[in-house]
Amino acid sequence: MSKRITIDPITRIEGHLRIDVEVDNNSVSNAWASCTMWRGIEKILRGRDPRDAWLYTQRFCGVCTTVHAMASVRAVEDALKLEVPLNAQYIRNLILIAHALHDHIVHFYQLSALDWVDILQIPKADPDRTAKLAESLSPWTRNSRQEFKAAQDKVKAVAASGQLGIFMNGYWGHPAMRLSPDVNLLAFTHYLQALEYQRKALQVVGMLGSKTPHIQNLTVGGVANAIDLDSQGALGMDRLEAIRLLLAEVVQFIQQVYFVDVCAVAAMYPDWFKIGKGVTNYLAVPDLPLDSKGESYDLPGGYIMNGNVGGAHFFRTSADKEFRESVSEDVTHAYYEGKKPLHPWVGETEPQFTGWTADGKYSWVKSPRFNNEPMQVGPLAQILIGYAQGHPLTRKYAELALGKVSAVAGIHATPDMLHSTLGRHAARAIRAAMLAELADKHWQLLVNNIAKGDTAVFNPPVFNGEVEGVGTHEAPRGTLSHWVVVKDAKIKNYQAVVPSTWNASPRDQAGNHGPYEASLLHTPLARPEEPLEVIRTVHSFDPCMACACHAFDPSGKQIAKAKVL
Amino acid sequence: MKKVLIGGIGNVLLGDDGVGPYVVRLLAASYEFDEGVELCDLGTPALDLIDQISGKDAVILIDALKVDAEPGAVLLYRKPDIVQHSPAVRMDPHSPALVETLLSVDMFGIAPADVLLVGISSGTYDSGCSLSPSVRDSVDRVIAEVLSELDRVGVGYRRREQPVESGIWWTRVERPFPTLPI
Repeated sequence: MSKRITIDPITRIEGHLRIDVEVDNNSVSNAWASCTMWRGIEKILRGRDPRDAWLYTQRFCGVCTTVHAMASVRAVEDALKLEVPLNAQYIRNLILIAHALHDHIVHFYQLSALDWVDILQIPKADPDRTAKLAESLSPWTRNSRQEFKAAQDKVKAVAASGQLGIFMNGYWGHPAMRLSPDVNLLAFTHYLQALEYQRKALQVVGMLGSKTPHIQNLTVGGVANAIDLDSQGALGMDRLEAIRLLLAEVVQFIQQVYFVDVCAVAAMYPDWFKIGKGVTNYLAVPDLPLDSKGESYDLPGGYIMNGNVGGAHFFRTSADKEFRESVSEDVTHAYYEGKKPLHPWVGETEPQFTGWTADGKYSWVKSPRFNNEPMQVGPLAQILIGYAQGHPLTRKYAELALGKVSAVAGIHATPDMLHSTLGRHAARAIRAAMLAELADKHWQLLVNNIAKGDTAVFNPPVFNGEVEGVGTHEAPRGTLSHWVVVKDAKIKNYQAVVPSTWNASPRDQAGNHGPYEASLLHTPLARPEEPLEVIRTVHSFDPCMACACHAFDPSGKQIAKAKVL
Repeated sequence: MKKVLIGGIGNVLLGDDGVGPYVVRLLAASYEFDEGVELCDLGTPALDLIDQISGKDAVILIDALKVDAEPGAVLLYRKPDIVQHSPAVRMDPHSPALVETLLSVDMFGIAPADVLLVGISSGTYDSGCSLSPSVRDSVDRVIAEVLSELDRVGVGYRRREQPVESGIWWTRVERPFPTLPI
């Protein structure tokens, strides 16, 4: 019946990001970002009930399930001009905040920290010195000598076994690694602790969303959480209090550990504030609505062109008219049929695979454009736009971060330096600190509203004729938008324009590079056969696809292949 | 009481990739299990899998495989089979991360004692919500493997008199009650 064999590799399918860079005199001279997998999941949605769309869309992605569910219900609500009760807005906001905090912690520690932290230096560290250093940076109570010693012992055991296990494929000892053994130990200890705190954030998502992955509590028009302060079966004070306690622990980790570590590590690599700039057009949408109509928000949105932060434009709502009208997708270099860029409501997803060609089609990712221009999305866009607007919370944490970097590095760090690889990491930490503060606020808003006697969570949707809508969410990786056309209560068209499509987009008809591509140009490589520097910059975007990185010399000969999976 | 996770991995929108979630939901609809057994449609987790398996005594994962075998073939892997493949340089948080997960829980000291991957060699990963015939026909054999692993680790289960609603919302269930085992 069954037989047992061993095969290589054991993989499932996923979208794969491939990066090709050309290297000239140890510097990147050209770059291509391409996705090697077609999914075309949007076509499944045609003809289905718009009230069910979110169940499907949260399967677009294995990790960001929540954000696709949220954008989907918002898209249908926008099409129907359906208001969402306050309780539902606050519950959704808390879920989005908790999900983002989880995601940002995992991104920094589990995904990208080891680009900067050299595990094999850790045995040389002195836990006493590390504890003193940590104490000078943060009041975190788990910065004790014992914690550092225990973490160091784990690394020593792994190193002594000769089996590096999880650390087998790092670029240890690479000349671009520059932290002292003590700082490496500090960051690695927090890498271990991070696992506990990201899990607490995810528990909040599960408690409000009833399960994770794939939350179950959404519905077009609100949420399905029954509210009854005195009932144990419904969302009552017991559960709200448990959520508050979990969030408090996560908030403390964000503010005393993650935020501090990013500033400290950044301060030790100041040259990386000059690398990885790329596309300086930025886009973000407002999020965390504060009323049932979606007219006021806690987080601002807008756009910046050509790095002109002072000349930023702002969106009043998350479905701002200019945003609705200005998005299109170009397929000049993507494996799809079609000549001219199309607005998502009339978007098509008809495959036309040609194979990878440097000057022709080379990616399954389309090129989303805003007024025909490539845009960088993500925490950096969010922070620069908030900064430009004078948004108090953005200013508070941006200035705190720049101050910490300046103090540790002995330099004068300015907002201008954020247009860089390290700027994207710093912006993500700033955004996380802002969200941490807002977690507390939205918990209080929810409790206060319930205390007033309001237990409404849902307005029923009513379908009539043909309508179109856009649902947005400023997700951990940036602007997410779902575009839906509904006709006679069935989905006529559905397109998702996701953050990693903006950032990983290939060139467009005008030949403009996408943000990943542009950010890699002129990156210096210490050892082209170990392109750690390329990985650092790609990671700084928090890419949403499995990724393989290839380095070529100008003659086309492959000099490195950092295969992933 | 043994803590056991039976987890289905896969994307239900990508054809045969949905076989893991399909089997788990069918199992939950057709059997009752001892306390401590958790059945979960895990979707396509990456490092989140660490959270799912930590603290368990035994973990049984069901997943589609891209292997050189007839579609519908059922293949079993234990932890040493899986971790002999070197983990890759991680570029993103979304890659399948079974190897990384198992190595990580080792390092964290929270590894389950028993890990079994029940793999199903799959035919099509094109977008679509249904299983191909050969993979659908393998479902009873997959269930038999899962139950025999429960026997091995000493956890009880009982076939329900009548199956309950399976919660398989993405496709039609042709045979709601497995024919195996006795």
